[in-house]
Amino acid sequence: MMSCKEVEATLLSYLYDELSREERAVYDAHLAACADCRRALEDSRRLHQVLGVRSAPEPTPELIVRCRQALDEALDREQLGWRGLIRNLVPVLSGLHPSAQGAVAVLTLVLFGFGLGWTLRPRSEPLPRESKPAPPVALASADLGNERISDISQVSPDPKTGDVRITLNAERRVTLEGSLDNPRIQQLLVGTVKGYENAGIRRDSLDVLSTRSGDPAVREALLYVMRHDPNVGVRLEAVSTVRGMEWGADVEQALLEAAEREKNSGVRFAAINTLADHVVKVRDKGLLPKLEGLASMDPDRYVRMKCAVAVHELAGDSP
Amino acid sequence: MHLRTDGGCLELAGKFPAGGSRLEEADERELIRRAQRGDRAAFDSLVRLYDHEVLRLALKVVGSPEEARDLYQEAFLKVYRSLGHFRFDSRFSTWLYRVVMNVCLDHLRRQRTRNEVQAPSSEEGETEYFQTVPDDRPEFDPERALKGREIRRRIDSALADLNPRERLVFELKHYQGLKLRAIGELCGTSEETAKNCLFRATQKLRVALADLV
Repeated sequence: MMSCKEVEATLLSYLYDELSREERAVYDAHLAACADCRRALEDSRRLHQVLGVRSAPEPTPELIVRCRQALDEALDREQLGWRGLIRNLVPVLSGLHPSAQGAVAVLTLVLFGFGLGWTLRPRSEPLPRESKPAPPVALASADLGNERISDISQVSPDPKTGDVRITLNAERRVTLEGSLDNPRIQQLLVGTVKGYENAGIRRDSLDVLSTRSGDPAVREALLYVMRHDPNVGVRLEAVSTVRGMEWGADVEQALLEAAEREKNSGVRFAAINTLADHVVKVRDKGLLPKLEGLASMDPDRYVRMKCAVAVHELAGDSP
Repeated sequence: MHLRTDGGCLELAGKFPAGGSRLEEADERELIRRAQRGDRAAFDSLVRLYDHEVLRLALKVVGSPEEARDLYQEAFLKVYRSLGHFRFDSRFSTWLYRVVMNVCLDHLRRQRTRNEVQAPSSEEGETEYFQTVPDDRPEFDPERALKGREIRRRIDSALADLNPRERLVFELKHYQGLKLRAIGELCGTSEETAKNCLFRATQKLRVALADLV
């Protein structure tokens, strides 16, 4: 038999149903015989009832989108700053012998100085990046008239129906919901992915549009994003989307441009991987001269190696 | 998305992919490894698996959406910066929630230090609450609604008077439904310590809300 003190000490476990069946049976047996402990339990139940009145708001989809957008931008800043550089160095340095770590750190700083100069050198053919995003999307439709959209807070697909929901502010708050086959929805998303200022929303729009890459307007928009989006993450996502698209001269041209001129090495590697994998997969010898050029001339060792492997595999195909 | 406990270990049910099946543990490990190698897309996927629950807890702790957004950002930036130190010794969700817990605790301590603890009953929060509760009673009773609002204000005030650790333990137990063992694990203490902390919090709330009970 439990004592009243033991009952008091386990009262919360009882209330929150954290006792085993045996412990609960012993507890119930004590309660049946002890009016004071029953009263204490009832008091606690009433307190729980009162506390149950409080209900903090659940996160709304708009709040989730705002949080993701703010985090996305903070991570962009993080990656471009000193912290990002140091973080990238840590795994490399930690694998070295301690005596070599100091020397590598000094060498890295020297190389970084040269690298900075190299990065900032004048380019003969810079990619036509937009310094500012395109003006707000204007859409003429039955839903919005000719209102100008000032803010888009959500673009989310419904995996069950294939529909998409877009929440935006024009002169009033509007939610558009419908299939991507709806020209108005598609036009809005194409405009958004190409020119809306918020990178998170552009990326969500890109995800949604990737399922309709067979449509000429969507295809053109996806390639445009890969070439021109100011955000590295969005461009990288666009390369991944383009990888899944049906191959064509336009895709090939866009990937070659990225392979030759893209400033971000991650996006550039992704484009080169896509090109090299395609060449090997379909035995496309039309791209052989380009790959040979990259395999012998590219300043990056990974690119030279990746392209050399692709060239070698194609050469093995020759009679 | 739900917060679940499984055998005392914290488990956060993640975002369900289009197919409806939960992300496999092996897939999550692969995502973590890719994120550790600097793959931003993989990190984004991890964020999207857990961010709903993180934001839910942040909202409970601070009340206002703006402050919750700050906590959300601070927590995930810390996760991003220290992900390289995660060695798969525990579940990723447990590790992540520990980071979130520490961010929430720091926030509550800062508030306390600045003596700015206020009941998180902003006008916006109130409005949102009433808008989300369907008024399906035959007759809407304004007096009852007013009383409900006053009770919530009193509860928020009593919770704000708890010390940061008691407050967080109480939120995790009473409103998030975590097992005491999981809370102990998150706090880096034992189940017994978490239980004692919950006991103290409940006693303080009982005193503060005595006239309502």
